[in-house]
Amino acid sequence: MRYGGEGRARLLLIILIVTSLFLITLDLRGVKILDGLRGGTQNILAPFQKAGTTVVTPFRNFFGDVTHLGRTRNQIEKLKEENAKLRTKLLERKNADGELIQLKSVLDLAGRAGYKVLAARVISQGASTSFSQTLTIDAGTTSGVRQNMTVLSGDGLVGVVKESYLNSALVMLATDPDFKVGVRVAGSQQIGILSGRGSKLAELQLLDNQNIVKVGDVLLARGSTHNRPFVPGIPVGVISSVDNSAGSIAQTASVLLYPNFSALGIVSVVISAGKNNPGDALVPAAPLPTPVPTVTIYATPTPSNSTSTK
Amino acid sequence: MLVRQFSISTLVFILIFLLQESVVNQLRLPGGGFSLPLLIALTWAALSTPTVGALTGFISGFLMDLSQSSSGVIGHWTLLMILACYAVAFLGFGNDNIRGNPVTNIFLVSIASVITLITFVITNLLLGVPTGNFSRVLITIIGSGIWALLVTPLILPVVTRLHRVLFGNQAHI
Repeated sequence: MRYGGEGRARLLLIILIVTSLFLITLDLRGVKILDGLRGGTQNILAPFQKAGTTVVTPFRNFFGDVTHLGRTRNQIEKLKEENAKLRTKLLERKNADGELIQLKSVLDLAGRAGYKVLAARVISQGASTSFSQTLTIDAGTTSGVRQNMTVLSGDGLVGVVKESYLNSALVMLATDPDFKVGVRVAGSQQIGILSGRGSKLAELQLLDNQNIVKVGDVLLARGSTHNRPFVPGIPVGVISSVDNSAGSIAQTASVLLYPNFSALGIVSVVISAGKNNPGDALVPAAPLPTPVPTVTIYATPTPSNSTSTK
Repeated sequence: MLVRQFSISTLVFILIFLLQESVVNQLRLPGGGFSLPLLIALTWAALSTPTVGALTGFISGFLMDLSQSSSGVIGHWTLLMILACYAVAFLGFGNDNIRGNPVTNIFLVSIASVITLITFVITNLLLGVPTGNFSRVLITIIGSGIWALLVTPLILPVVTRLHRVLFGNQAHI
């Protein structure tokens, strides 16, 4: 300010604001060069994010445990008994095992449906401060990943590839407020549209108010033309509550999405779907009821002492 | 002098952006976590003149726009950060109560980060970009405010020293 005066400072401020407004206008008009900028940045960031994942994983597990303290109390109590070296080894082993389980379950799911899939590791999760729900995977166009491909985990639908770069791809999660997928109810085959709501609970809107869905009904992806962005038959979620308002035009329900989005380590991108629609074949098996032990007591009358002495 | 300061500031913010994208985002912190470029830019601006503040906002905002996790249009964060950093620098400029007092500085940065996020949500709605349900947005904003209060005291000494090395006691253009 001392050298240029107030006028010069104001001029600079105006230039900066106009530049940003110019950028907004260009982006809203869909100028490709700006998309290229984001793509180029992601290409540069991908190796750093991969390295970051390796370094951060033990800490991430720690933060995850803190977040789910109530649920993992027993596990924490056990870990307290072990020494620090063993605990570190256990965390590393658990991480590898978790990824293996996720990989196995996702390949099982894809195998049952006859999908050709590409397994990928999650290398970054989008910042929630930007109000979008995305993650980045370490497979891109060089591995055959393209825009609008279905992404799934062993539990079900994770999201859809929003952008693909050379060695990474951005996946829009099913929890994203912008996410929409056509679904059908397994069994009754009623159809509706599922929308993300920013959390693990999504919203299902049926196409009319005549259909009746109930809590516990399983939803499967209906599939899209040429299987993009969605292949048919993937488990999406289970209905957790139904809104039965008499005056509403179409019935709505809350849906608990199957995948655990905060613990995604390995996902699969569906490169091509099988020739046949898997129908309801991928509906997850209902959990088996916990067996209740039955104790039978036989009462045998003992002869009294007075009788035996006689 | 200006070119050298501007270049080094840009390099510093690129490193901070890299740290945010490759480490902080991966921690999956509760309450939505925090944004290092946002907090450091606001802290940097609080120590600078309004002009340097606006330039800082431009650099950090543009980098935040380049992030894949940014839901808004390119230029959106740039605009907001220019205005936020300019406002913070304007409030702090010539006011020793803010410059000389770390506690005031921390509160100024935390409040500014919350206001910036609220403005981001409102302008996103005006631009037609979906931001999620109200409770989620509320949790993210409150969480971000709490994180700002926790993180700013940690970054303030580093940013202050770095700023002093680059600009001396007073920032000039």
